[in-house]
Amino acid sequence: MSSGERELMLTGIGGQGVQLAAQVIAQGATVDGKEVLVFGSYGGMMRGGNTDSTVVISDQPIEAPPVLSTTWSAILMHHQYWTPLRERIRDTGLVLVNTSVFEDELDADRYQVVEVPATDVATDLGNPLLAAMVMSGVYGRKSGLVSLDGLAEGMRRSVPPYRSQLIEANEGALAAGWEMAA
Amino acid sequence: MSNDQIFISTDTPPAEPAALVDDFTPTLITQANHHLCPGCGEPIAIRAAMEAIEELELARSTITVFGIGCYTAFAHNLDVEVVQALHGRAPSVATGIKRMLPDGFVMTVQGDGDMVNEGLQEVLHAAARGENITCLLLNNGVFGETGGQMTTTTTLGQRTKTSIEGRDPHQHGHPILLSDLAATMDGAAYVARCAVNNAGNVARTKRYITKAYESQMAGAGFSLVEILTMCPTGWFVDTLEGPDYLQDTLAPVHNIGELKTPLVQQ
Amino acid sequence: MSDRALLEGSEAIARAAVAAGCRFFTGYPMTPFTKLLEYMAALLPEVDGVCMNAESELEAVGMAWGAATTGHLAATGSTGQGLSLMQESLSEITNARLPLVVFNMARGQGDYFQATRGGGHGDYRHIVLAPMDVPEAVELTRLAFELASQWRTPVMVLGDYYLAHTYQAVSVPSIEGAAPEVPDWALNGSSGGSGSAKIISPLGGGVEGEEGFDLGAHYAACAAHIQEMSAGVDPLVDIGFCDDAELVVAAYGSVGKFVRYACLRLRDAGHRVGYVRPITLWPFPSKAVHDAVAGAANVAVYEQNMGQMVEDVRLATLGAVPVEFIGGPSWDHSGFGIGPDINVPDISERILEAMT
Repeated sequence: MSSGERELMLTGIGGQGVQLAAQVIAQGATVDGKEVLVFGSYGGMMRGGNTDSTVVISDQPIEAPPVLSTTWSAILMHHQYWTPLRERIRDTGLVLVNTSVFEDELDADRYQVVEVPATDVATDLGNPLLAAMVMSGVYGRKSGLVSLDGLAEGMRRSVPPYRSQLIEANEGALAAGWEMAA
Repeated sequence: MSNDQIFISTDTPPAEPAALVDDFTPTLITQANHHLCPGCGEPIAIRAAMEAIEELELARSTITVFGIGCYTAFAHNLDVEVVQALHGRAPSVATGIKRMLPDGFVMTVQGDGDMVNEGLQEVLHAAARGENITCLLLNNGVFGETGGQMTTTTTLGQRTKTSIEGRDPHQHGHPILLSDLAATMDGAAYVARCAVNNAGNVARTKRYITKAYESQMAGAGFSLVEILTMCPTGWFVDTLEGPDYLQDTLAPVHNIGELKTPLVQQ
Repeated sequence: MSDRALLEGSEAIARAAVAAGCRFFTGYPMTPFTKLLEYMAALLPEVDGVCMNAESELEAVGMAWGAATTGHLAATGSTGQGLSLMQESLSEITNARLPLVVFNMARGQGDYFQATRGGGHGDYRHIVLAPMDVPEAVELTRLAFELASQWRTPVMVLGDYYLAHTYQAVSVPSIEGAAPEVPDWALNGSSGGSGSAKIISPLGGGVEGEEGFDLGAHYAACAAHIQEMSAGVDPLVDIGFCDDAELVVAAYGSVGKFVRYACLRLRDAGHRVGYVRPITLWPFPSKAVHDAVAGAANVAVYEQNMGQMVEDVRLATLGAVPVEFIGGPSWDHSGFGIGPDINVPDISERILEAMT
């Protein structure tokens, strides 16, 4: 809420890559030299349960605590657990919605909605699990908070060693998202 | 000899302090005098421990961790480096030291109340880890320092202030045979039990302690020497009866001998 | 590319600890302390250090005690509950005059008294530092080892779930640097056989029957040392907008960051509210707190407990300004101390209520 601090809240279902997207965007902003804070949800299952995360990006030391009540932007990967987030998005905020699976009404007149068929795009790229990376690419460009190079490097830092075979595909998905946001 | 000479009056302080006939003090014990009771076995055990350090030329690499009991008085009476630990916690403290000084020689001195009551998990975990330290257990089957209460090593039938009619398994449970327990641990390299109630046993004690030290210096893993010691005060027997009481009460239960050596293991 | 990295609080603290020269760490897993133990287990072998997954908190603190006697920088930690198990040793380690850093990743703020009153037996205190976020924790971890060495005392770094699990961009302290030199008092066995072998004991040193061997004198020296620390350790405090504040809000740790943020936003909205955030909880920055609130009409204390630091604030202000407690315990199903009331709107509401 303070000058220069931009918040992002992500929501989705465990397994959609919500935590990874938060990490990639946050790592990317760190690579770009920004101040960054991330706090993820602790509860739920790894797959299929509620998962959400909060990211704060700024040029100045972060004033915000780890848990916030309102946000400047949001990434909605799925509608299942998104109700608490609905009221938190501030007027004129930036909202990225995964239209491939999201089935709920959005207050389109209150904030700026960017429709991203992320799961479809990811499926066309060869793997629906790349949806979160597509979304991260779109977010980087639309928000102006993270560069594509930053996102790519952030992704490389975030992918665990046992998933390293996905790095190339992730890069492609980030770039595809970036292009879509042009 | 007249009666005047036989019966020492305690109405007045003695005219002169007791004379030391000969100084048997080992080099690494700084003073011959100690404040433990007459007939106590602990000074004999500590003497054996210090003589073995000297003979193996370990004095300049030794750190001794003391538990809490009567023997703690010796923490301030030795010419080896000492860390005073809490009751029961010496094996962990020794572990921290040994891990940071793997070339040093690290040992603990603990009683049965310390090691087998308060600190049982510490010594067993250290044994299971194969921690390359040596633990000495001075086992007299009672809490000596607090005046003769029951410990976990008190034998069945043994009278203490908290088992006045003798230890009854239905009320007080059974004694823990610490060395037997430690010997079952794969990390234990050398485990032996001995006593200091006669000259032969004292010599055996020195031999076992030496083997345990050598085992540590060879990097073999955990070593334990349990030493049965007299506590006539805590046993409520005459000073001179201590050795026999040990033989009749503790030794039949806590059997003397080597329980685990590299040879026995093979 | 910057030399900064996005690190989880636990990893940032672990790196800062190793960078400060910590070479021995041990602990027993318990949320939210566990991650720190995991990171130390990964980092210490890189610098030939030792990390032990102790069999219990009792053994962890004992191992750290032993390692500290060798003069190498040692640390342990746990969560409030595990710290309860460690208190007997922490009391004795304080009296043995050994440097040790203790990371307490507490659940909520119910352990303020345990941390600041000397949680074990006996009449002792040790230094307590309470960072509000990851960058400050990196700085205070370095300071903790420095103070522990300087004063030969345990120093506690008091954090919580938020600190342990929040990621922030921080400058990564290099763990490559050399550890500090081993001090003269440390043991390595070499003084044995010299006629004056060293002893490190919570009961004092010296040879029995000779000068220097006196338990009473040792305890008196320990008490004098604690008073010296109380007066000599620089109290740290974060103060904002107190000059013209009608109400000053006091809070510490991660919760202090929530309160600080609420105050900043209330200031943006024109409310004359200030904040004071003690960073050293022992010694408590009494003078700074006293001075900061001198012009205010009221002081409000927000803690995630039934009111503990509020007592120190009252002692610091000595009745000069009314002190009101506006916090309270807040728990969720996890029990990890991240209750639903710890949020900026709720805290702001309580602050505004205290202003009327």
